[in-house]
Amino acid sequence: MRRWLILLLLAMTGAPASAQTLIVSPGAQSRSVTVYRDPQRGEGSINARFPTGFALVTEQRRITLPPGDATIRFEGVADGMIAVSAAVTGLPGGVIQKNRDARLLSPASLTLGALGKPVRLRRTDPATGKVVEQDAIIRSTPDQALVIESADGVEALRCSGLPETLIHDSVPSDLSVTPTLSIDTQSDRATRADVTLTYLTTGFDWAADYVARIAPDGQTLDLFAWLTVANGNSVAFPDARLLAIAGRLNRTSDYDALGRAPDAPPLYLSCWPEPSYEGEDDEMAYGLAPPPPPPPPPPPPMMAAQEIMVTGRRVATQEELGDLKLYRVPMTVDLNPNGQKQVALLHQRAIAFTTLYTARLSAQGEASEGGPLTRTLRFTNRRESGAGVPLPSGGLSLFAMRGDESLLLAQARMRDQAIGDKVEIAAGQNPHLRYERSFDDKTQRYGLRLINSGTEPLFAEIIMQDDEANRLVGSRPRLVRRDGAWLWTVTVPAQGTAHLDYRLRTPR
Amino acid sequence: MPRLFLLAPLLALLPAAVLAQDATDPTAASAQGDVAVTIYNNNLALVQDVRQLAIPAGVSRIEFPDVSAQIRPETLSFAADGASIVEQNFDFDLLSPAKLMEKAIGRTVTIVRTNPATGAEQREQAKVLSVQGGVVLQIGQRIEILRDDGLPVRVIFDKVPANLRARPTLSVTVDSARAGTRAASLRYLTPGLGWAADYVALFDAKAGRIDVQGWVTLTNNSGTSYDNARTLLVAGSVGQSQGGYRPQRSTAIRRAGTETAPREQLGDFYLYPIAARTRIADRQTKQVSFLDVQAVPARAGYAYRNGWLASSEEPQSVRSVVHFSTARSGGLGDALPAGTVRFYMKDAGGAPQFIGENQVDHTPMGSDLALATGDAFDVKVKPVVEQRERVSNSKWRSHMRYDLSNAKDQPVTVELTQSGLDFAFDDTRIVSESLPSQRIDSNSARWQVTVPANGTTSLTAIFETRY
Repeated sequence: MRRWLILLLLAMTGAPASAQTLIVSPGAQSRSVTVYRDPQRGEGSINARFPTGFALVTEQRRITLPPGDATIRFEGVADGMIAVSAAVTGLPGGVIQKNRDARLLSPASLTLGALGKPVRLRRTDPATGKVVEQDAIIRSTPDQALVIESADGVEALRCSGLPETLIHDSVPSDLSVTPTLSIDTQSDRATRADVTLTYLTTGFDWAADYVARIAPDGQTLDLFAWLTVANGNSVAFPDARLLAIAGRLNRTSDYDALGRAPDAPPLYLSCWPEPSYEGEDDEMAYGLAPPPPPPPPPPPPMMAAQEIMVTGRRVATQEELGDLKLYRVPMTVDLNPNGQKQVALLHQRAIAFTTLYTARLSAQGEASEGGPLTRTLRFTNRRESGAGVPLPSGGLSLFAMRGDESLLLAQARMRDQAIGDKVEIAAGQNPHLRYERSFDDKTQRYGLRLINSGTEPLFAEIIMQDDEANRLVGSRPRLVRRDGAWLWTVTVPAQGTAHLDYRLRTPR
Repeated sequence: MPRLFLLAPLLALLPAAVLAQDATDPTAASAQGDVAVTIYNNNLALVQDVRQLAIPAGVSRIEFPDVSAQIRPETLSFAADGASIVEQNFDFDLLSPAKLMEKAIGRTVTIVRTNPATGAEQREQAKVLSVQGGVVLQIGQRIEILRDDGLPVRVIFDKVPANLRARPTLSVTVDSARAGTRAASLRYLTPGLGWAADYVALFDAKAGRIDVQGWVTLTNNSGTSYDNARTLLVAGSVGQSQGGYRPQRSTAIRRAGTETAPREQLGDFYLYPIAARTRIADRQTKQVSFLDVQAVPARAGYAYRNGWLASSEEPQSVRSVVHFSTARSGGLGDALPAGTVRFYMKDAGGAPQFIGENQVDHTPMGSDLALATGDAFDVKVKPVVEQRERVSNSKWRSHMRYDLSNAKDQPVTVELTQSGLDFAFDDTRIVSESLPSQRIDSNSARWQVTVPANGTTSLTAIFETRY
């Protein structure tokens, strides 16, 4: 009977006739992935489980085209694909139109697609296990439970307390598992085309992770950086050329919204009011709206699939890309789903640096205020000082040698530093070098004392900020003006102190 | 056995379902006719649907399935030859189990009890008395609450009540002078359809040129697919002004053009027709090319805007800006509908890489555009407030210094703008400056500062403010 129905349907409508030939491109022959950091993330490290940056994927695909019109569907693309950014080149007939279809196959969409059409209703007798199937027609949308009509009459699905379900013959052709990208093209003859598909995708991020080691002499720094890449997509990019772009670039469209698959609503079945004595099923009381559908399932757990890979030290090469910096990893790598990968980004073995201790203080201060100074490593990013390469932003771990082992001194951050920039890395506080403020009521002078309890003389730079209402005058020793503030540079002797005092004047 | 019963009602139902099938997609079952969709930028579309309808003589009611699921029913207009409209109705009393039971009050339904131990079925007739907080049934002389004991009970209704529908249904009642099949045209507005432009711009900084491809991107979230539709995109937003405050957006247009693009116009809007008829599926994003221009002159520039008395401890990257024109000569030669421009640049291996994106408004032909793509890694500005001094009770002087650095191996020119010169009740002028500035408006002064290759330069200026 069911077959007969289908035959009848087909006979009356004709077979699905279409001039378009559908070609499925299952995957790429080769690929390259250019990873961009999240422009809003700042200098910290990435979240490998939920990467917030993005990537440009370039894939070479070989496609066999028939003569005439064809639709090419691209499969095996990243989940976070921004379809509006997709570009396809290399087709002899060009691209007539690009489509991203996002009606997803779900229980609700399957049922909605069968509205008014014949389906099978299956009941299983709970006592005997006997299965009864019969033809039925869906009469309502699945938003508020299903009303079905069969030879018996009109009934509501699963309101009887009996196990019952609907069985469909086929999946409507416009429903897909994930959003799919397809293009329409045409060719005047059968041919084989090597096409390039490029698209932006979310679910990637990268950062530079610096490891700085202070040499035993305390004069030079060995600066190594990892290029840490995370792929949060569920698609693998095997044997991919990997590139990373440093610098901050503009992003104006909402990539998450563009890349996200639309919600696939769950099938929610509610019935007529049922008696309730516990008072807990209030929302089932008649006349109230059915309870909201349950929230969509949480994203699949990524913990289990997470893997950290550390690849050997072949250092990336750097080139200019307009006003950005491009890093090219010298070998192809496998970018695994839900994985993080690290390759060497750069390595400068001996950067001459100075250590100084800094504080930025207001000229007006509480008399009893005090605190430790900040250890700052300073070098000029030039070849003369052993550096002279662009330093992309990222986290920095500072190590110093203690005998044969290196110990962590500080965790710090690196900004985007161009060649020639003065690089200052704030690397923790030194409890042995403190400042203390004082105020002498009699002379109306403010005092600042630096106290070094360590065994080495230490070099300090203190910036005193005054303002137009309270000018710093009559300082001893004399201060120099720098960048709109006063600068006091002094070497504090081992187990000794240094002293500054000044007045504040309010101009009339 | 039940299958024999089934045949008759199903056959009665089938013709309607089958006749409505669309030839291109057997699952679509669309009742749409010749569809034309006109889409505006502000999430609004005009749908025109000419259907062949058999209209009997006299007064009859016609339903319209397969209109947009988000239709604004009050905007419907219906026209058929020789038929006048009596009334238009939009019914949204939807079929659900609860509604079904509610409509059965006072009527008789069949209940089937299944013995959970044996599977034996027992059929009874029951009258529905109430559905308030539970279904109260009268079975013979007994009063029962449906499924109060938790045992399985099927409730079978004779038919679906006439006024309950699967979907919101639009209908018109017409008075027709004659009987016969004729073209009936439906026209309505619906939200859920919108469009914007997406541009792919391949920028070659060394050659000073840009290749631009433009795509119209239309999105359909209206809940309905439109088959074989003639599609027209209107570069503009119609009506729907709610009044109130509308903030002025910053725009990439430096100089608005005065040329007329060679495109069809409707009122003040440019039209972008899609050449062939196309299927606009529900939940679909469709892109069709409308612009492809090669080798348009373009140049890279740098810009930095400093707020009033803004000072920074660390040098800040300036913005990289791409300048180009939409003029007929030396430009794209077209008006640009609003959208997103994505810039690409070829790397050393010749592969295009993404270098940033920005938005454009509806841009007339002949305009000069300046689109920021991101921050320049190698070009930085460090603004410093060196000193503020009081000249008199109502007059202050602010000494500004701007340190610019360039790590590129060629000189660059930075467009440095100091803003905030005119707020509320003051008046700021430049007393002295190390480079002549241009006062672009009362609020801001602008310098063109050239920074040598791998070098630095400083700009100083003294501002005098009267309060």
